Amino acid sequence: MALLLLAFFVVSCATPSLTRWMSTRVFYAISVLPFGAFAYTLTQTPTVTAGETITESIPWIPQLGIVLSFRVDTLAWVLALIVTGIGGLVLIYCARYFSRSEPGLGRFAALLLAFAGTMYGLVTADDIIVMFMFWEITSVLSYLLIGHYIDRKESRGAALQALLVTTFGGLVMLVGVVMISVQAGTTSLASIVDQGLDSPAATVAILLILVGALSKSAIVPFHFWLPAAMAAPTPVSAYLHAAAMVKAGIYLVGRLAPGYADAPGWRETLVVLGVWAMLVGAWRSLRQYDLKLVLAYGTVSQLGFLMVIVGFGGYEAGLAGAALLLAHACYKAALFLVVGIIDHRAGTRDWRKLSGIGRQSTVLAAISLIAVASMAGIPPLFGFVAKEAVFAAFLDAAQSGDGWGWVALIGTAVGSVLTVAYSMRFFWGAFGRRPGMEPTELHSDGWGILVAPATLAIITVVFGLGASLVDPFLAPYAETMPGPGDYHLALWHGFEPALAISAIVVILGVVMFVKRKSVARMQDAVSPMMDSSRGYWATVQFIDRLSARTTIFAQRGGLPQYLGTILVVYVLTLGAASLMNRTWPDSIRPWDYPEQVLIAVAIAIAAVMAGQAKQRMSAVLLVGTTGFGMVALFALHGAPDLALTQALVEMVTLVVFVLVLRRLPTRIAQRNKPVKRLVRATIGIAVGLIMAVVAVVALGARQAESIGKEWPRLAVEEAHGMNIVNVVLVDIRAWDTMGEISVLVVVATGIASLLFVTGRVGAIPRLQGSRQQRRGRNRRRVIVDPLAPGPEASSNRMSWLLAGRTLARGHRSVLLEVLVRLLFHPAILVSVYLLFAGHNAPGGGFAGGLLAGLALVARYLAGGRYELAEAIPVDAGKILGIGLILAVGSAIGSLVFGGAVLESAYFEADVPVLGHLSFGTSTIFDFGVYLVVVGLTLDILRSLGAEIDRQQEDADLSAEAQDDFSESEAAR
Amino acid sequence: MTAILPLLVLIPLIAAAVVLVLGAYRRAQVVVSGVALAVVSVLATILLVHVDRSGTVVVDVGAWDAPFGIVLVGDRLAIIMVLISALMLLGVLIFAAGQGIADGDRDTPVSIFHPTYLVLAAGLFDAFVAGDLFNMYVGFEMLLSASYVLLTLAGTGARIRAGVTYIIISLTSSIIFLASIAFIYAATGTVTIALVAERVRDLPADVQLILCISLLVAFCVKAAVFPMSFWLPDSYPTAPAPVTAVFAGLLTKVGVYAIIRTDTVMFTDVNIDVPLMVIALLTLLVGILGALAQADIKRLLSFTLVSHIGYMIFGIAIGSQAALAATIYYIVHHITVQTTLFLATGLVERVGGTTSINRLGGILKAAPFVSVLFFIGAMNLGGIPPFSGFLGKIGLFEAGVNLGTPLSYVLIAVGALTSLLTLYALVRVWNMAFWRSENEVEGYSSPLLDSLAEDPEDRGVTVKTKRVPALMLTATTGMVALTVCLTVFAGPLFDLAARTASDFENHSTYVDAVFPGGVE
Repeated sequence: MALLLLAFFVVSCATPSLTRWMSTRVFYAISVLPFGAFAYTLTQTPTVTAGETITESIPWIPQLGIVLSFRVDTLAWVLALIVTGIGGLVLIYCARYFSRSEPGLGRFAALLLAFAGTMYGLVTADDIIVMFMFWEITSVLSYLLIGHYIDRKESRGAALQALLVTTFGGLVMLVGVVMISVQAGTTSLASIVDQGLDSPAATVAILLILVGALSKSAIVPFHFWLPAAMAAPTPVSAYLHAAAMVKAGIYLVGRLAPGYADAPGWRETLVVLGVWAMLVGAWRSLRQYDLKLVLAYGTVSQLGFLMVIVGFGGYEAGLAGAALLLAHACYKAALFLVVGIIDHRAGTRDWRKLSGIGRQSTVLAAISLIAVASMAGIPPLFGFVAKEAVFAAFLDAAQSGDGWGWVALIGTAVGSVLTVAYSMRFFWGAFGRRPGMEPTELHSDGWGILVAPATLAIITVVFGLGASLVDPFLAPYAETMPGPGDYHLALWHGFEPALAISAIVVILGVVMFVKRKSVARMQDAVSPMMDSSRGYWATVQFIDRLSARTTIFAQRGGLPQYLGTILVVYVLTLGAASLMNRTWPDSIRPWDYPEQVLIAVAIAIAAVMAGQAKQRMSAVLLVGTTGFGMVALFALHGAPDLALTQALVEMVTLVVFVLVLRRLPTRIAQRNKPVKRLVRATIGIAVGLIMAVVAVVALGARQAESIGKEWPRLAVEEAHGMNIVNVVLVDIRAWDTMGEISVLVVVATGIASLLFVTGRVGAIPRLQGSRQQRRGRNRRRVIVDPLAPGPEASSNRMSWLLAGRTLARGHRSVLLEVLVRLLFHPAILVSVYLLFAGHNAPGGGFAGGLLAGLALVARYLAGGRYELAEAIPVDAGKILGIGLILAVGSAIGSLVFGGAVLESAYFEADVPVLGHLSFGTSTIFDFGVYLVVVGLTLDILRSLGAEIDRQQEDADLSAEAQDDFSESEAAR
Repeated sequence: MTAILPLLVLIPLIAAAVVLVLGAYRRAQVVVSGVALAVVSVLATILLVHVDRSGTVVVDVGAWDAPFGIVLVGDRLAIIMVLISALMLLGVLIFAAGQGIADGDRDTPVSIFHPTYLVLAAGLFDAFVAGDLFNMYVGFEMLLSASYVLLTLAGTGARIRAGVTYIIISLTSSIIFLASIAFIYAATGTVTIALVAERVRDLPADVQLILCISLLVAFCVKAAVFPMSFWLPDSYPTAPAPVTAVFAGLLTKVGVYAIIRTDTVMFTDVNIDVPLMVIALLTLLVGILGALAQADIKRLLSFTLVSHIGYMIFGIAIGSQAALAATIYYIVHHITVQTTLFLATGLVERVGGTTSINRLGGILKAAPFVSVLFFIGAMNLGGIPPFSGFLGKIGLFEAGVNLGTPLSYVLIAVGALTSLLTLYALVRVWNMAFWRSENEVEGYSSPLLDSLAEDPEDRGVTVKTKRVPALMLTATTGMVALTVCLTVFAGPLFDLAARTASDFENHSTYVDAVFPGGVE
C-alpha cells in the first residue's frame, strides 16, 4: 500500500510534463493508477470478507509514535473501492470533459490524481496521525482544485472558504487526535477503537474529533462551504464533493463508532446535527435553479443522513450505514457527472433555460433516471435497499426504548420526503420540456463521456437486484459493532414497517413535487433561520479588524514605544523579583575611596546634562565627560592600562563625532511634550535604580571566590607577562579579543558602506604625480593642485606637508603643519613601542594602534584628505584584512603546530633600546590587533573625513553653479 | 575533533579577512565566502556525528583550563545549531551571488557584503559554541554589528530608519545582557557557564530568580518575545531579500538558543514555567494577528516569525524531554522554512515588482516554478502535513497534553488557532498574488483586503524582471528541498533531537563535560 501511495505521488509529479505532449489523453494514462489500486483492493476481498485484516507498517518517527501503518478491514475496503473506482472513472470522464486548450490542465490532472492517492491513504491508514495527515492534505488539494478557474473571483473565494472551514475543523480534531493517542498510549486507530476509552479526557478528545468530521462532511453548521465549492469544475464536484472527500468525515465516524458510539454526547451530537443538515440541505435544494446547486444542497442533506446512521452504533445501523455510503457514492457521483455533461452540451446548468433534453439525450436521461430513483429510494435500486435498512435499524432502536431512535427515524423520514421531492424536481428540471420553449440546442460530445456515469448507474441496478449477495461483503463491518444483530440486506424483506415507511415517504414526496408551486411560496415565506455563510464572513472580518486594531495599537509608537516597553518590562519583572527578595547583604560598603563618589556624581551630572543638551556638540562633549570619568575610575583603581586605552578611545571618538557633526544641524530638534519627557526620565531613572539594586543583591550573595584572583599568578608564571590586562586580552581571553577586533573590522566596513554606498574598495585619491615628486630633488617642488587651479594655488609657498597646498589658504595653519610634521614620526614610534612593551608595561596593541590612529588624525586635520592618502597610501580594507589574518592566523597556526587553539609560545631576548623583551606568539596576535585599530581609524577618516569633505565640496560647487545660474537668470 | 570546534569560528573569520584583502576581485570573494561556509558545513556535520556518538567536545582556548580561560563547548545542541545555520548561510550566499551577478551589486555590494556576512557567520557560530557567558556576549556583538551593516546596505532612507530602530533596540538588549553578566559574575565569581551552573545552586532562590530574569529579558528582546517583539517587523523587512532571509531565519533563534541554555543549564532550579507559558501564548496571538493585518508579504512573514517564536517558548516552558526535543526540531524547521520563504518572496518580488498583495497578480502564470516553491514553503509554515511545521507542532502538542495542566491545554488551543490563522494569512497571499490575474489588480476590491496595512516604507511597483537568474532559483530550490528533507528524515532527526534534549535532563551532563574531574 505504501508503494502504491509512492506511485501516486511520483506519477502526480510527472503529470504536468506528461500533459504537455499527451494533452487530454493524459487522463487515460493516469487513470491506470486508481484502477490499479482498485484491482489491488479487490484482491484483498477474500481476506476482508473472512473478517481478517491486511496490515503493513513502516516505522517513521518513533519519538512521536508515528508509524506509516496501513490496515485494510471491511470499512477501509469499501471506501478504498469507492475512492479508487470512482477516481478512475472520473479521470476517464475528464479526458472528454476538458478541451485541449483548457488552461492549467497539467496542474489539474496532477492534483486530481494526487487527490485520489491521498484519499486512498486516508481510508487505509491505521496510524491516526498519519490518517490526519492525509486528511489535511485532502483539504489543501481540495482548495487547489476548487480554485481551478483561477481568474474567477468567486472560485478563489470559495476555495479559501472551503480550506479555512475544513482546516478549522481539522485543527480542532488534531487536538483531539493528540489527546486520544496520548490517552490510549498508541496511535493505532484499531487499538484506539478496541480500547473504547471512557475517561473524561478521552470523551473530550472524541468530541473534538467529531468537530473535524462534521466540518469535513459539510454538516451544519459547517455546511455552507460545500455549495460554494461548486465553483470547481464538475469532475471535482463529483469526485471530491460527492464521492470521496466529504465521505472522509463519515468514514471517520464509522471508524470510531464501534468503540465510541456510546460515549457521552456522541449520539446526541450526530443525530441532532445530522438530521438538521439533512433537513436544511434538502429544503435549500428545493429552491435551487442551478442543477449543480440542487445536487450540492442535496449532498449536504445526504451527508447529514449518513452521519446519523453511521454514527448511530449497533449491528443494524452499521450495516445500513455501509450500504448507504456505497449507494450514495454511486448515485451522487453519477448525477454530478450527468450535470457536467448537460452543462457541456447545453452551455448552461440553469434548468429554466433548458428544455427537451430528455428527448435528445435518451441514454443520458436513462442514466440519470436510475441515479435519481436510487437517491429517492425507489426499488429495485440499491438506494432503496440501503434506505430500508436504515429505517429498519432506527425502528429497531426506537422499539427497544431508545428515544434517539425515534428522533432519528422521524427526522430522516421527513428528510427522505424532501429528498424524493428534490430528486423529482431535479429530473424534471434537467430533462423535462418547458411549455412554450424551443428544445435546447445541444453540442454533441461523443459517447465516451457517458462511460463513467453509465458504469455507476449499472452498479446501482446490479447491487439493488443482488442486494443479498452484497450483504456478506458488508456484514464484517457491522460485526465490529457492539451488540448482536441478524438483519441482512435484501431487496425484499416481506411486508414490514420499514417498507411502509418507505412507501409513505415516496408518496408524500410525490405530493410535494406535484404541489411544487405552493412549496415554493412556502420557501419564500420562511426565511432561512440561520445563515452560516454570513457567520463565516462575519468571523473573517472580525479577525481581520481585530488584527488591524491590535497591530496598530502595538506598532503605533515606533522606536520610543518599543524601547519604552522593553525597559518597562525590565523594571517591572526585576522590580517584582527584587521586592520578593528576602536575601539582602548584611552590610553595604558604599565606596572604596571617597574620590569614587566625586567621579560618580560628575558622571551622573554629565549624563543627565547630555540628555538635556540642545546642541549636538555639547551633547557629544558631555558624553565624552562621562568617558573621562571612567578614565579617572580606572586610573584610581590601579589600571593605568585601561585608563590609557580609554582616554585614547575618548579622543578618537571625539574626533569622529566632530567630523560627523560637520554635516548635521547644530541644534537637536526637540519635538516631545514635557509630559512625555517626564515619563521617559522616570523610566530611565527606574532602570538605573533597579540595576543598582540588583548589583547590590548579586554582590551580597557571593559565596565563592572570584576566578579573577588567580589571574595575576597565571599571568606572570604561565603567560610571562607583568601586565595582567594585556595578558588577559592577548592570551587568557584572546578568543574574545579576536571576536572584538572582527567587530571593529565590521564597524569600519559599515561606515564605509554608508558613505560610499556601493563598495569599500578604492583608496583615497592621491596627488597627481606624487610618486615621482617624492623622490629626492623633486621633494621641494611645487605640486600642482588638482582641485583648485589658478595662480593662487601654484604659489611656491613653502609647504611642510605634502598635500598642504591642496587646502585653500584660509583653511591652512602653518603652525599645525609644523607640529604635525614634527610629531608624526615620533608618535608612530611610540605606538610601536607600546605594542611591544604592552606585555609587561602599560600599552599593548590596542593602545598602540589608537596612538598611531591619532597620529593619522593629526595628519588629516592639518593637511586634508590628500595628506591622508600620502601618509598611508594603502587601502584601509587591506590593513584591516591583514590585521585580522594575523590575529586569526595565529590561532589557526597554534592548531597547525599541534597546540591548543590560540596557545602561546615564548621566546626571550635582549633587544637594544627596548631592553629585555619576552616575545611570545601572542605578540603576533597583538600586532594584528594593532593593525586592525589603525585600519579602523584610517577607514573612519577616509569615510567620515575625506568622503564627507568631497561631498561637501560637491555640494558647494553645485550650490555655486546654482547661484551663478540664478544670477545670470536675474541679469537677463 | 578538538581542532574542529574552534575552526568552525576561525574559518569564517579568516575568510572575512582574506575577502577584505582581496578587495576588488569580486569573483574570488564570492568563491572564498562560499568555500568557507561549505567547509564549515562539512566540518559541523563531521563533528555532529562524532559528538552524537562519543559525547560533548570541549576545548580550552589557549590551553587555559576552565574556568580561568575561555572554554568552547560543542554539545549536540550547539553543533546542530551551527550546522543548520551554516547551511542556511551557504544557501543565502548563493542566492545573493546570483542576484549580484544579475543586477550588479548595487543592493549587496560584494566588498561590503561578503566580509560582513562572514563575520556574522563567525559570530553566530561563536555564540553557539561559547561555554563562557562573556564570550557568548562577544559572539552576539559580532553578529549584531555585522547585522547593523547588512541592514543598512545601500543606505536608502528606509533602511537607515529601520536600522536606527534595530540598532538602538539591539544595543539596549546588549547592555542588559552585559549588565546581567556583571551581576552573575558579582554573585558567582565566574562567567564560565558550567561553573555558573554549579555555583548558582549555592545562592538563595530569590537571588537565582533575579539573575535568571535579568538574563532572560536580554534574550527575550533578541528572540522577539512579546511584548519585546514590536521592533522586529519594523526593521527586518526593509533589508535586501537575502539579508532579511538570514535575519529572519537565524538571528531570533540565537536568542531562543540562549534562553534554552539559561533555562536548562544555568538556572535549572528556577521555576518560571507559568510566566513563560503566558508570554508564549501572547507571543503566538499578538504575532499572528499582526501578520493578518499586513499587505506586504515580507512584513507578513516577519510577523509570523515573531508569532512562531511562541511555539518554541511553549516547548521550553513545558521543559520535559519530549517538549525540548520537539522544540529543537521546531527551531531547525523554523530556521529553514523562514529563510526559504523569504528567499522565495525575493523571487516573487523580482517577478512581480512588489511584495504587496494589493498590487501583485498573475505570479502563478508568470512563474509557475517560483510559485510552487513559495507554496511548499507557505504550507510548511502554515503547519500543513506532512511538512515539518506540522510534525514539530505534533511533538509540542503531545508534550503539552502529557503535561496536562489547564494552561497547557489553553496553549495547545492557541497554538492550533495560530496555525489556522497563519494558513489564512498565507493562503490569502496565494489567492491574491498567485491566482488573481494581473489585469484584475486595478480597482480590485474584496472584503479580504479591506483592513490590510501597507508597508509604510513601500516604494510601489518597481522594475519587473520576468527572468529569474538560475543561481537564485537553484539556491531557493535547494532550500525547499532541505525543508522537505526535514519531513522525510523526521524519524532520525527526532531521535537526534531527543538525544539532544536528554543532555539537559540532568544539567550535570554539560558541567561534567567541561569539568571532567569535578568542579574545583
